Amino acid sequence: MTEMLTLAKKEITELRRNRLLILLFGFLALAVILSVVVASADFRLKIADYHHYLDALKAAGSTATAPAPQLFPLQLLRGGMEYLEIIGSLFAVVLGTSMITKEKGRGTLALIFTRPLGRFAFAGGKILALSLVWAATVGALFLVIVASLLFVGNAPLQGSDYLRLALAGAHTTGYLIMWSLLAMTLTALARRAGTGLILALVLWLVVVLIIPQIGDTMDPDNQIPGGLFASLQVDKSHEQAVMAHFTGYETTRDLIEQTSVTKQYERATFAYLGIKNEYNQQPLASIWAGTFNNTLWLLAALATSVSTALLSGTKKTILRKAP
Amino acid sequence: MTRWSAVIVQELLCTVRERLPQLLLAVFVGMIAASAFIGSSARSSVTGVYQEALRQGLTTVANPFDSFSPLYYARNTVIYIVLIGALLAIVIGVRSTLRDRQARTADLILSRDVNLSFYLGSKLAGLALFVLLVLAVSAMINIGCISIVAGHVLSVGDSARIAALYALAGLFMLPFVALGMITGIRSSSATSALLTPIVIWSVVIFILPLLGTAAHPVSLLNPVSAPPASGNGFFAATSSLVDPLSLGEQFKHVAALMLADPQATGTMAGSIMALAVFAVAVCTAVAMTGRKRMRRMLHD
Repeated sequence: MTEMLTLAKKEITELRRNRLLILLFGFLALAVILSVVVASADFRLKIADYHHYLDALKAAGSTATAPAPQLFPLQLLRGGMEYLEIIGSLFAVVLGTSMITKEKGRGTLALIFTRPLGRFAFAGGKILALSLVWAATVGALFLVIVASLLFVGNAPLQGSDYLRLALAGAHTTGYLIMWSLLAMTLTALARRAGTGLILALVLWLVVVLIIPQIGDTMDPDNQIPGGLFASLQVDKSHEQAVMAHFTGYETTRDLIEQTSVTKQYERATFAYLGIKNEYNQQPLASIWAGTFNNTLWLLAALATSVSTALLSGTKKTILRKAP
Repeated sequence: MTRWSAVIVQELLCTVRERLPQLLLAVFVGMIAASAFIGSSARSSVTGVYQEALRQGLTTVANPFDSFSPLYYARNTVIYIVLIGALLAIVIGVRSTLRDRQARTADLILSRDVNLSFYLGSKLAGLALFVLLVLAVSAMINIGCISIVAGHVLSVGDSARIAALYALAGLFMLPFVALGMITGIRSSSATSALLTPIVIWSVVIFILPLLGTAAHPVSLLNPVSAPPASGNGFFAATSSLVDPLSLGEQFKHVAALMLADPQATGTMAGSIMALAVFAVAVCTAVAMTGRKRMRRMLHD
């Protein structure tokens, strides 16, 4: 246990000094802030369009009114959460790979294993360090998110909004740790350092981009700009009545999407943040009832990645594969 | 065989033999083959939904897919070129120059009377040839799969449009190959050599379009573009700045026109020009690399 803590401390010190990683995290924070800036600019345009519409109605002598666009602050985070989902996981892959490649490159791997370490101490130390680094990074990123919502988006946050943000942050931490550990496992198993990174990138490409893209493309409502049902002038309640005849197709599409852990993460976080309209302003218990399976799948993926990282990070496996 | 054609052939052979780009290549060609079937499934579901809405008396508008062309089935291909094609281009570019540095062959080659610009230009030509071969095979697979799904052999006109799409894909992928070569030469480690162009790619594909149109990153994975944000105020200013740099969107715009997408408007010239300028700029940067850069040690 002591050696695991020592190794974790060493990893955290090294990560704190890694300028490339600090640049990447800065880039991620900038992307999230930009997404809030863009989302709030888009909302202000909608408000301006609404006022123009009301003025036009008044000028035409009409007394009709239309509901004003409502600001739900957490919905401004959609772009930012998608950046964490896509670019955050990419950086997590790089971080996970570097945990092994740096030891192989410097030749310290064999040196570490000359010490009397427990079987899982080496991998355990790295897993602990990665978990703490991601928890701190995501915590900092969510502080940036809150600040950008308050000061850039000019959006007032309620007490429950902070709880929802904390839940989304917990899901994000688990998701990013999982990607780092998967990349670490592949790099530990690969004969060459570069091989592990490219294998992890291919896995990232398939899980984060390709599978969700297939599911998204199969959605009938995504086939026409602005939505199929809007173009057919079919409202939301009738849309469900029509789609009830396509349950087999929808189930298949849903199963394809569910094979991607990225989709599981997206569904859970979008629900807690109210980005998905059906969960917007709903009590947390009702959101949990609707999305607990997504959270459990994410936890299962995290548990799998921890187990594989522990098993692949033993002296026998790593030194056997070292060049 | 001249020394330059020898470099081209050597580059081609080394790239074909590399196992990891082969993995990405398999994913790329596999998805190109699958794209027609995914498109067919989406189209049947839309037709089914329309007929059901019509049967329930919920709509009176015409079926949006009435005037549909078999080229519709190639729309997913565009996304796979932007995602997998560009990453494949980056990986083969990075591997090409990293291979020289890791095996220390750069020192050996530069001890000879070799013009570095011609050497790197020949390597780039070899990789471009590889990309063109991959795209030619992908085009044939795509035409074959669309013919199967459509139930008839594609017309010469439609096949020519798909061939033009793949020629455009070559122009889109080439600068990413060159970008990979540059970072392979300039980076101090193999990890940063691969990571840097991927970060640039993610900015170009996912971040710049958001600034210009408020399009969400995940919606950019859908071949059907989201309606753009209002064209005045904030977005008028940002889109004029970032649109020429949003190469993925420029490629998607020209591809939509080539595939005769009824929703696509405008002309191709501006977008093709933006892609060509980027390609020329990055290829020139490869040719301008100094000798010392090529001989720097890697730190991992």
